[in-house]
Amino acid sequence: MTITTTPAPLAAKAAAAGTPARKNRFWSWLIYVAGAVYFLTPLAATFYWSLRAEKGKLGFEAYRRLFAETDFLPAFSESLVNAVAAILLSLLLIVPTAYWVTLRLPKLRPVVEFITLLPFVIPAVVLVFGLLRLYSRPPLLLTATYDSSRVLLVCVYAALSFPYMFRAVDNGLRAMDVRALTEAAQSLGAGWPTILLQVIFPNLRVALLSGALLTFAIVIGELTIALFMAQHTLGPYMADLTRSKVYEPSAMALVAFALTWAAMGMIAYISRERRQP
Amino acid sequence: MNGGFLNLERVRKEFGSVLAVDTFNLEVGAGEFVSFLGPSGCGKTTTLRMVAGFEQPSSGTIWLAGKDVTFAKPNERNIGMVFQSYALFPNMTVGQNVGFGLKVRGRPKDEIDRRVQEMLELIQLRDLEKRYPYQLSGGQQQRVALARALAIRPQVLLLDEPLSALDAKIRIALRAEIRAIQKELGITAIYVTHDQEEALSISDRIVVMNVGEIEQVGTPFEIYNFPKTQFVANFVGSLNNAEAEVIDPANGILAMDGVHLKTADAHMSNRSKHDKVKISIRPERFSFAAEPMKDNVVDCIIENITFLGSVVRIQISIGDTKFNMDTFNNPYLDLPAIGAKEQVMCSREAVLVLGDAPESAG
Repeated sequence: MTITTTPAPLAAKAAAAGTPARKNRFWSWLIYVAGAVYFLTPLAATFYWSLRAEKGKLGFEAYRRLFAETDFLPAFSESLVNAVAAILLSLLLIVPTAYWVTLRLPKLRPVVEFITLLPFVIPAVVLVFGLLRLYSRPPLLLTATYDSSRVLLVCVYAALSFPYMFRAVDNGLRAMDVRALTEAAQSLGAGWPTILLQVIFPNLRVALLSGALLTFAIVIGELTIALFMAQHTLGPYMADLTRSKVYEPSAMALVAFALTWAAMGMIAYISRERRQP
Repeated sequence: MNGGFLNLERVRKEFGSVLAVDTFNLEVGAGEFVSFLGPSGCGKTTTLRMVAGFEQPSSGTIWLAGKDVTFAKPNERNIGMVFQSYALFPNMTVGQNVGFGLKVRGRPKDEIDRRVQEMLELIQLRDLEKRYPYQLSGGQQQRVALARALAIRPQVLLLDEPLSALDAKIRIALRAEIRAIQKELGITAIYVTHDQEEALSISDRIVVMNVGEIEQVGTPFEIYNFPKTQFVANFVGSLNNAEAEVIDPANGILAMDGVHLKTADAHMSNRSKHDKVKISIRPERFSFAAEPMKDNVVDCIIENITFLGSVVRIQISIGDTKFNMDTFNNPYLDLPAIGAKEQVMCSREAVLVLGDAPESAG
């Protein structure tokens, strides 16, 4: 006769572990579902509303009208160009700064962190009034024409991106041994441009994309500053649309939301690809 | 400038009020393998970094192949460096890492390819050319780092604790490989380590450092067998320390706990009778007195026996002083019983006098 038994300590352990684990899973799911309902219900309601543009039936009429609007695409493309310009400017300022702080001036890190956090602390309205006051009179007259105001707007957007860009780049730099990589490249004969372009930038790819896409998400629908600077970008266009149309603003909100999520999705996808350079 | 290929003349480095390296003088010959050995914070890495150009000396001069490179930029020195953390470029393959230095120098592609193949052959990793650093083991990564540093045909190869992050077996294999490659290429190398066994096994000469100063420069044999200071004697290998009184300076006779010991120390004649001195004896210099011997044969009591693998460590007491005695292990070793009275001996050369005992110091 063969008797098979589960060793007593193991069986006891399994029984003891089962109940709390199931309990934990229940609470996890409950929180997850509650969160999903909280976030998705307004979206679903907005989407439902955007589908009711035609009387008596659901359809994408609001979206068709939105894209048929002559002002939509120019506003969207202007925001797109502003976002790309702000990203480039921000990268140009933040990457060398964060690199130098990591490599040579680590004591300055708290100061730089504080400065990059200022856009979080200063409300947009205060920021825009300050900027207008400073740049709307000589010697720094930047609001004289639409294009010069646009340059100022891009500079402001670059500043608004600092909290995200600096943190993303700083995290990326901390994840690698910047000093050793720099010194290895130097000992092999590389100068600063080569080190930055061939060693540091490629290894910051994911961090740079994260910062860039977060900046894109902020800038693409920004309203307050663009409005005060009289710029015809997506933010003011959306605000105007809300005042004059019924269903299109909902469609517009969902399009902007989709664009933002597309940006986030891209970050996640590229991050997953990280270990296959 | 003196006759060496790499000369450091009165090199000094201060970080604020902290003196990291003090008046460092060293001549390294072409093709020589010199190790900087010392505890953490002794200034060995700072000295290496000054040679590499990553730190600038507060004063002094560094000459390389007859050229003053004290303030030359690191990328203008033609020095290869291997780091403890490997520092391979994660975005580049093994082949691209090895060829990076040549690419930076604007060499033609076919020359780079040829040199990369040569280097990968040298480190026996030819099949891994297309791999990325994260796909390699620690030992493989460090060999790639070595190949990368050598690919540019540097005038000097600097190695900053290159084996510290590796496990013991790979460390031993790789250090032999580094030494073989260095000899094969005839390249001048400076190696920083805090591991005395590593320094002893790999170097032509060792520079033992302590608190920013050179304690002793010599061959591994000299450093181990004839340490000039108490620090060197203690830092390199195991050591028994005791205090003794000078009885007969002319004949090198000392007394320790009433036991007479003879020493071959050359400076004994400068000492006076009744001077108190520090003496040191390496554990392996003791042996059981199988036959009468002219030098030191003393009575002892066996206190403890510890098995350390290839070595058996026996703790003995001579008078009131306890000493360790090491003997090679073998299956037929006839070990005494604990508490037994025995006689041990050591030669007079084994008794090192390394300074004044505290009572008579100053």
